[in-house]
Amino acid sequence: MTSFQNKHDQLQSELLKRQTRRHFFSRCQMGIGSMALGSLMADRAMAAPAMSENPMQPKPSHFPAKAKNVIFLFMAGGPTQLETFEHKPELNKRSGQPIPQSFIEGKRFAFMDSSHRTNLLGATQKFKQYGSNGAWVSDLLPHTGKIIDELTLVKTCKTDLFNHAPAKFFMNTGSGQFGRPSMGSWVTYGLGSECDDLPGFLVLQSGPRGPRGGATLWNSGVLPTSYQGVPLRNQGDPILNLSTPESISPEQQKHLVDAVKELNLKRLVETGDQEIATRINAYELAYKMQSSAPKLMDTSDESAETLDLYGIKDPNEASYARNCLLARRLVQRGVRFIQLYHTNWDHHGGPTENLQEHLPKICKEIDQASSALILDLKRRGMLEDTIVIWGGEFGRTPMGEVRENTGRNHHIDAFTMWFAGGGFKPGTIYGETDEFGFAPVENPVHVRDIHATLLHQLGLDHEKLSVRFQGLDFRLTGVEPAHVVKDLLA
Amino acid sequence: MSNFSGSKYAVFGLTTCVIALLSLLANLNPPLHGDEPTPAGEDSSPAVETTINFSRDISPILSENCFSCHGFDEASREADLRLDTFAGATGEDGGTAGIVPNDPNASELVARILSDDADMLMPPPDSGRKLSAKQVQLLTTWVSQGAQYSKHWSFTPPERLMPPKVKGVEHPIDRFIVSRLAQEKKSPTQRADSHTLIRRLSLDLSGLPPSVAEIEQFEIDAAADFDAAYSQLVDKLLASPHYGERWGRWWLDQARYADSNGYSIDGPRQIWSYRDWVVNALNNDMPFDQFTVEQLAGDLLPDPTQQQKIATGFHRNTQINQEGGIDREQFRVDSVFDRVATTGTVWLGLSVGCAQCHDHKFDPISQVEYYRMFAFLNDQDEPSMKVYGPNVDVELLKQDFERAKSQLQDMVDQSENVDAVSAWAEGIDAKEKEKLGKRTAQALDKKPSDRTLDHKRSLFKAAGDAIDEKTREEFERLEKQFNDADAKLNRTATTLVMKERDEPRKTMLLIKGDFTRPDKEVSPGTLSVLHPFEISSDRANRMDLARWIVSPENPLTARVIVNRIWLHYFGRGIVESENDFGLQGSVPTHPELLDWLANRFVDGGWSMKDMHRLIVTSHTYQQSSVNHDERFDPGNYYLTRQQRLRLDAEIVRDVALSASALLAPDLGGPPVYPPIPDGVMGQGQVKRGWNTSKGKDRYRRGLYTFKFRATPPPSLNVFDAPDGLSTCTRRNRSNTPLQALTLMNDPAFFEFATSLEKVIKRDGLITAFRRCTSRTPTEEELNVLIKMDTLNAARTLLNLDETITRE
Repeated sequence: MTSFQNKHDQLQSELLKRQTRRHFFSRCQMGIGSMALGSLMADRAMAAPAMSENPMQPKPSHFPAKAKNVIFLFMAGGPTQLETFEHKPELNKRSGQPIPQSFIEGKRFAFMDSSHRTNLLGATQKFKQYGSNGAWVSDLLPHTGKIIDELTLVKTCKTDLFNHAPAKFFMNTGSGQFGRPSMGSWVTYGLGSECDDLPGFLVLQSGPRGPRGGATLWNSGVLPTSYQGVPLRNQGDPILNLSTPESISPEQQKHLVDAVKELNLKRLVETGDQEIATRINAYELAYKMQSSAPKLMDTSDESAETLDLYGIKDPNEASYARNCLLARRLVQRGVRFIQLYHTNWDHHGGPTENLQEHLPKICKEIDQASSALILDLKRRGMLEDTIVIWGGEFGRTPMGEVRENTGRNHHIDAFTMWFAGGGFKPGTIYGETDEFGFAPVENPVHVRDIHATLLHQLGLDHEKLSVRFQGLDFRLTGVEPAHVVKDLLA
Repeated sequence: MSNFSGSKYAVFGLTTCVIALLSLLANLNPPLHGDEPTPAGEDSSPAVETTINFSRDISPILSENCFSCHGFDEASREADLRLDTFAGATGEDGGTAGIVPNDPNASELVARILSDDADMLMPPPDSGRKLSAKQVQLLTTWVSQGAQYSKHWSFTPPERLMPPKVKGVEHPIDRFIVSRLAQEKKSPTQRADSHTLIRRLSLDLSGLPPSVAEIEQFEIDAAADFDAAYSQLVDKLLASPHYGERWGRWWLDQARYADSNGYSIDGPRQIWSYRDWVVNALNNDMPFDQFTVEQLAGDLLPDPTQQQKIATGFHRNTQINQEGGIDREQFRVDSVFDRVATTGTVWLGLSVGCAQCHDHKFDPISQVEYYRMFAFLNDQDEPSMKVYGPNVDVELLKQDFERAKSQLQDMVDQSENVDAVSAWAEGIDAKEKEKLGKRTAQALDKKPSDRTLDHKRSLFKAAGDAIDEKTREEFERLEKQFNDADAKLNRTATTLVMKERDEPRKTMLLIKGDFTRPDKEVSPGTLSVLHPFEISSDRANRMDLARWIVSPENPLTARVIVNRIWLHYFGRGIVESENDFGLQGSVPTHPELLDWLANRFVDGGWSMKDMHRLIVTSHTYQQSSVNHDERFDPGNYYLTRQQRLRLDAEIVRDVALSASALLAPDLGGPPVYPPIPDGVMGQGQVKRGWNTSKGKDRYRRGLYTFKFRATPPPSLNVFDAPDGLSTCTRRNRSNTPLQALTLMNDPAFFEFATSLEKVIKRDGLITAFRRCTSRTPTEEELNVLIKMDTLNAARTLLNLDETITRE
């Protein structure tokens, strides 16, 4: 009946009660005065049931989970499935011919008024078969080919929106509108995080520019901002304002934190306001992050062999490969949800974004590191607990686009994503598309189904993970039916 | 707590006890699903034996548990049973009968909610909903009492009633609050200390903390005659131009104001004139009905002024998608969707937007009605308008401009001047040309016959001594006239406005809200569940909509707005779901007070300042926020005390600026670019420039910081400033480690600390402490600070919870 906000407030304040108590009884070395405070707090503790300790405290799932963490390798811009995982000889054969009208009648595409074309374009790459299931993978992704037996390939992913930003929101939040909570926010809202000195939802970026949609992609929307994704930055501090100001010594910073805590505690006793206890905790975590985040970023404890596996030449240089390694380090630390964005996969055929020159380049940037991540997680026994997802906001049309060079337009009816670990069935190829790779002929998997399946593996029921806002129950999977795709699961 | 023994055994005992409790509680799942606490808990519900009040007791249960399948939306109705009307529930409308009034044993509804059989039980177990024993009992009793329905409380006009009489209590608000508390055998807390009150009032009304001198003066005055001193302070603050800034932000949140176009490209836009319009309107205490009319339909007023047109920027604060390959119509329609939803939320407190794809599942709003509302907001062009300075007569200015231009033209074209310039031009060598600057060089490169007036002017200027002195002086004079007029006329700010189309667009109902699936045509109209709609011409337009909204017959708007004002003072509205007064919304904690305030608001000519004065002069507002008794009403629904509230994002900045003596209190004008950390602007798709302001613009209030929607300023974002993507009627108040990092390490806050350090060195720690918190530190507190170096002490003060909290 009451708004979500209230629930959150209540949750926050309850959690603080508990945290404060723990503070007094286990962590803080306090004198007599604090015992009096302790009794005051304990009294309060009886007043109302506690719910949670801090927003990121691990919370029980709805049912037993198959996976604990998620790494989403988001290929921003919409990778072509026809030059990566979709081998379509018929398309190659009929390259240059118009696509039969029946395929495109009544459909809408991006750039309808300008560069959109309706002639088929054959694959610009050769394909080879890999693994025990004989999956076709293009020559652009040899490393991925080698680990194909670890992957669950889904060739019939479908989305609803064909412009970048709305489609990215859709993949991340289940809605094309700005300002809905993203997947990482939902997951940390539902499960918290097992890392107590880093945020529970982190975002890493590589490529020539930020992803379309910007920071809104990791927004917490109607959920509290505590669940917003925190970008791990490539430049300057890994987390905004992480470093102590230059002229301040570590001792001074410690002194600051201690003094703030002492004065805040006095105010807590004076006012009885539990929000102050939350703030004391927040400062404690912030202070811990000041040392834990640089340690995370310092990869000097990684062996040369590991760096080679990922293809990292200079470990201090920002790259997709380095982000993959950081993702593994984050999972090791218990961080719940990690999202990597790599730009730019928007190969329309322009001078800086065509299939001939730029697609091979970007595939090279991600191929070795993505497969290294899987191998590395596996050999460390972490893959079974970690879901790795590879894919973009949509795929690309079998019809070619001709600008300065050749490319493909945005396509929402069928595109390929892969999943690994976390209870996904390895060595699986799921879904089949028509002879051009235009649309599924069987087993379509809508973005909503991907969301439902992902949450399911984390032990969350997508229909129950909801929040009341403006009179509506919001869910990641929205109001249309969504299905857990059991065939993808081990 | 004073008589606590302090024995370590006691502590052990307590610890064990707490641990036991914790482990017990650990088994309680967090509330992943919406079974939220009811306001004031179960105890506030009446004993079941008493007469049932449909609106308060039954409607929320039905709405939450039944209406999604048995409600207003015919398309999703199951078993031909609707429970949202008496006729539907009893089968009088020809559908299935769920209820036989006065006969629970014969009522299917009662049988179903009591059933042991999972196949029969309602709500169905797989819906995840479950009635509590008490709810079952309430429903059964209600049926046995005749299953009377009444119109939802917020759809009926506010009741006219007098505040209850309470001995020794005069203020009308206090009479409502105290009489409700008396039922719980509780009374309000004592008034807060003077220093707390002046800080609370200053922050609430102006968003700035009081100066030390103001605190001292108020303490003296209040000791002599509290009421006089307090009321004088209230008047002073309401008259301050900073009042408009503070409450302007309240409105700008609802208007989803920001300085960029949103979506992925997120280019900058100019609409700050609208922001200034809001601030000025509030400072002038523009009545809320006029405030509404000008924003929704200022351009349709007779002979609208420039200011009234600027006001229509309210609905231009929607996003614009500049991405390539889009269908513009799709995003135009999206912006109209946003306008409908925002209008519904802001003025009606209803989730009208829910009826975009289907009939509303809970409230009586049909999809057709949604598109009737949509039609009002579908008939506009969306231009950008030049904004001329105050007292500018545009016609006169145009004449000045044209005159100066033609005189200049004559002068540069006069034959002896032409000769002089060309003689000079011929004598210029390459080296000299370089020194002349790009524009002049370009003019030189043009053939004389191709030179424009601008080219000729720059050559004329550059020629210097080549032209005789008298002509030159005359030229300078004309240049100045021309440039002045040009600046005022052509290089002036612009703002986004609404303009009614000559030919209205056809509005069609869109199936499932999909703009590619138009259905039947609809004409503009309002919600039939509310008061009647009157139109002034053949085709209703936004003006009719605006007048309908501010009609005294409207049961919602006044309630919604006073509730939203109340919310800012107590951290929660009388109706907690401040954006939803519909059937899914919360029941008011003090319904009589809400109605009384709403009537007072309208009767008092919709004066917002009057409403502020009324609330802040109540004891309810002035109470101490210290929490002495959390066992009773931990959520403070009954208001036995005030509430400590973390400051809004902009005010966190303003307080730090103010305390550290850096604040530039200038009002209005284009947004500014205070320092932000490196790399922030690279977070969006397009890297936007951030040309950090110099001078005092570095130290302007947070209200004036340029806000890109896709990459909002981090230090505001981290304290929950809304992003302007959709209307925000209530800010979140999070409390996170990133906030701590910001206050400790952000370069801007560090700069504030270095300035506060100077204050410490000059005026001492006590003064610095008072600048931050308005109170004098205790000796213990001072001891903590004295042990620190001055810079660190300054940083500590800016990091205190108290500094960023209104107590």
